[in-house]
Amino acid sequence: MTMTNTSTTAPTLPPADLKPAQRTWRAFRRNPLGMGSAAVILLMVLVALIAPLLAEFPSGYGIEILMPPSAAHPFGTDDLGRDVLAQVIWGTRISMIIGFASSFLAILIGVALGILAAYAKRLDAPISMLVDVSLALPVLPLMILVAALVGPSVTTLVVVIALFSWPEVTRIVRSQALSVTRLPYVDAARTIGGSHFWIMTRHLLPAVAPIIVVSVVLTASRAVMSEAGLSFLGLGDPESWSWGKILFNAQRSGALTVAWWCTLFPSLAILLLVVSSTLVSIAYNDARNPKTREN
Amino acid sequence: MIRNVRNALTRRSVLMGGVVMAMGMASLSPANAQDAASRIVIGTTADVVNFNPLVGNSRSDTWVTNLMYPRLMQMTDKGSKDPYVATDWGYSEDGLTAWMDIRGDMTWNDGTPFTADDIVFTVTAVTTEKIGVTAGLIPSFVSATAVSPTRVEFTLSRPDSTFLTNIGFWMPIVPKHAFPEVGQVAAFANDKDWVSVGPFALTEVNAGQNYLLTAVDNYPLVEAGKATVDEVEFRVFPDVNAQALALRAGDLDLIANSLPAPIARTLQGQPGITLAQAPSLGWSHVLYNMTDEQLSKLEVRQALSHAVDYEAIRAIAMQGLATSTNSSAISPVLSYWADPEAKEYAFDPELSKKILTDAGYTDANGDGFFDGLEFSLLYEQSAADIANWAQIMKDGATKAGIKINLTGLERNTYLARGREKDFDIYAGNWAVMEEPAAYLGLAYRTGGFINYASISDPDLEKLIDEAQAATTPEAVKVPVQAAAKLISEKVYDNVLYYQTFQFAYNSDKWDGFVVQPSDLLSLVNPLSLASVKPKN
Repeated sequence: MTMTNTSTTAPTLPPADLKPAQRTWRAFRRNPLGMGSAAVILLMVLVALIAPLLAEFPSGYGIEILMPPSAAHPFGTDDLGRDVLAQVIWGTRISMIIGFASSFLAILIGVALGILAAYAKRLDAPISMLVDVSLALPVLPLMILVAALVGPSVTTLVVVIALFSWPEVTRIVRSQALSVTRLPYVDAARTIGGSHFWIMTRHLLPAVAPIIVVSVVLTASRAVMSEAGLSFLGLGDPESWSWGKILFNAQRSGALTVAWWCTLFPSLAILLLVVSSTLVSIAYNDARNPKTREN
Repeated sequence: MIRNVRNALTRRSVLMGGVVMAMGMASLSPANAQDAASRIVIGTTADVVNFNPLVGNSRSDTWVTNLMYPRLMQMTDKGSKDPYVATDWGYSEDGLTAWMDIRGDMTWNDGTPFTADDIVFTVTAVTTEKIGVTAGLIPSFVSATAVSPTRVEFTLSRPDSTFLTNIGFWMPIVPKHAFPEVGQVAAFANDKDWVSVGPFALTEVNAGQNYLLTAVDNYPLVEAGKATVDEVEFRVFPDVNAQALALRAGDLDLIANSLPAPIARTLQGQPGITLAQAPSLGWSHVLYNMTDEQLSKLEVRQALSHAVDYEAIRAIAMQGLATSTNSSAISPVLSYWADPEAKEYAFDPELSKKILTDAGYTDANGDGFFDGLEFSLLYEQSAADIANWAQIMKDGATKAGIKINLTGLERNTYLARGREKDFDIYAGNWAVMEEPAAYLGLAYRTGGFINYASISDPDLEKLIDEAQAATTPEAVKVPVQAAAKLISEKVYDNVLYYQTFQFAYNSDKWDGFVVQPSDLLSLVNPLSLASVKPKN
């Protein structure tokens, strides 16, 4: 049964007849905050995808320097006379790319280590210790150090953020996977001669998938924040636009206190993304949990 | 035998001379002198890293140590030097000996007289240990002797017309009796128990917060014999935005950093806040790495020079606070030395394309860029003006079919890459370039201290040698102008503009600042802070 069918026939079907994913989706749909937030994220993804259709890449200069929002420039202009709306639109693209790419990388590392720690008892202690040590590190100064040494670029930002984001994912995935490894079907899989890799990928991974979904969204939003922080400190890619870079430009040029539009709109974009991600995660969690799910 | 060859530079009295502009020198009422301790609070954005004035080179270092260790001469807004601690100076007829007379009424704040011995000690330490830029400026120095407490004589290895003015401005004098022996001076931290001779003595240091200096009783370089204000506090702010807010709120009396144009514009109309302007004696420029296969070709550098929208850089990126140097390494602000015939490179991307096409460059893959012409442009990411014009430069080059990739780096990495000559095109600025015969050697001679572009041209070096060996300004002028012309023709350095700095202060509370050129001196030079007085 497809998702569309589910939504049209849902009122007539008793919840017990639905698959877990359908039940989750059904509960999620009823949460207006979750749906609204998901719509905001989807909108941002759309803006990122069609940025070239929405605005020209902000480059060069204009004669209208630091002009407040107007019909011609709805978000105003910066100290080189460039359109802030165009910067925010193109910034969405880079912020999203960095957010999701570093989130993907962090999830990849985090999930692999989390499952490995839960499944291989001998590796649990060293991996857990590594996670504890990594979580105790002063992340921002280290990110600044690495980004400064390697040189600013989108790739650097993605790698740096991912390298410092995976421990949280590992910790969550490990704790979820630990409870699964004790279940009889994992023992059964082992008894019938399933390889370790097969058990981990076919039995443990699906069991922690919902956690991964939440982690992807939250890690991505945190990555966007980290990217904004690093860019604001002047470690962003000088050739591309991100929300953090718009803020950095405003601070660097002295427009921070005199041209509110240079800081308000990128800040709003960051705020919207982070709040939406958090709300989507909460809504998804609630929808997935039978205790909090309606029906 | 030494013959007094009178220094040809303008000479005026210390109080009147060298001063660019004295603002509102209102007379001090007797009541003011009786007031409780007056303190002027000055904003800076960085801590003092080095209290040894011979080593420290950041702006904050200079602002604070300038008030403690005197320079021998002071700089005019034309780049020439006027008497200050030194009252007179000159060269022997053969140019192999130089002499300098100094004031005899100055004492270090521990009561020890300030004498010629201190100058001999300082110059010997600087040259022996090769400390800072000064050592690079005076390669002709052989030895110094204090022939009397107020007179020093220098032996030079060759005639050097820039020697005295270089040590006169670039070498702060440190106390012989309070510094370690020669050989250990550069390593001396000088971070406590300061023995100084400026208008103020450093009394309190709170890193990350503030630096407090107290007026000393004897500072004969101002009319009153000591500074009018009792205390000077340098307060550290996170950035210039925060400084501007503090100035508006009345928590700050003066911002030492030059203001970015947007902030200056908003402070302009504020009641009680006045903006002062000071010319930069340096310039902003781009250097082309001559060790790069493509950039070593004159045609490529010429094409790049015609691909820069100079007007847009000055009008948009600098918001009008910049003046053309006519693409010359001697900017018109140095009116005595500048060549009136110098002309700025025309912004003409089509001409760039023609030059490249004639030189055999093609665009075989049709991507709009000449094949093989892709360069990175290195600049400091946090320098707003340069970051802005780097973008304009990239756009101009694109129009000319040359691909430029922006490489904005944080300050320390940027400086290191510059020193290691690890760049294609280097964007930056020199703070003070006031003595052509001296700085041409530093910047364009093979192995020169700041010859980042690895320029090596025998014809150019011959002209620089000629200029440095000449002993009269007239004899210096011809070769330096010829050198500047050669640099411009060969596009060894693309000098874009010299900047007009803007500084803001609380004019409701303070009066009598003395503006001097460059952001190293500006309103926070010793004479200015010794002269400033509270209103009412």
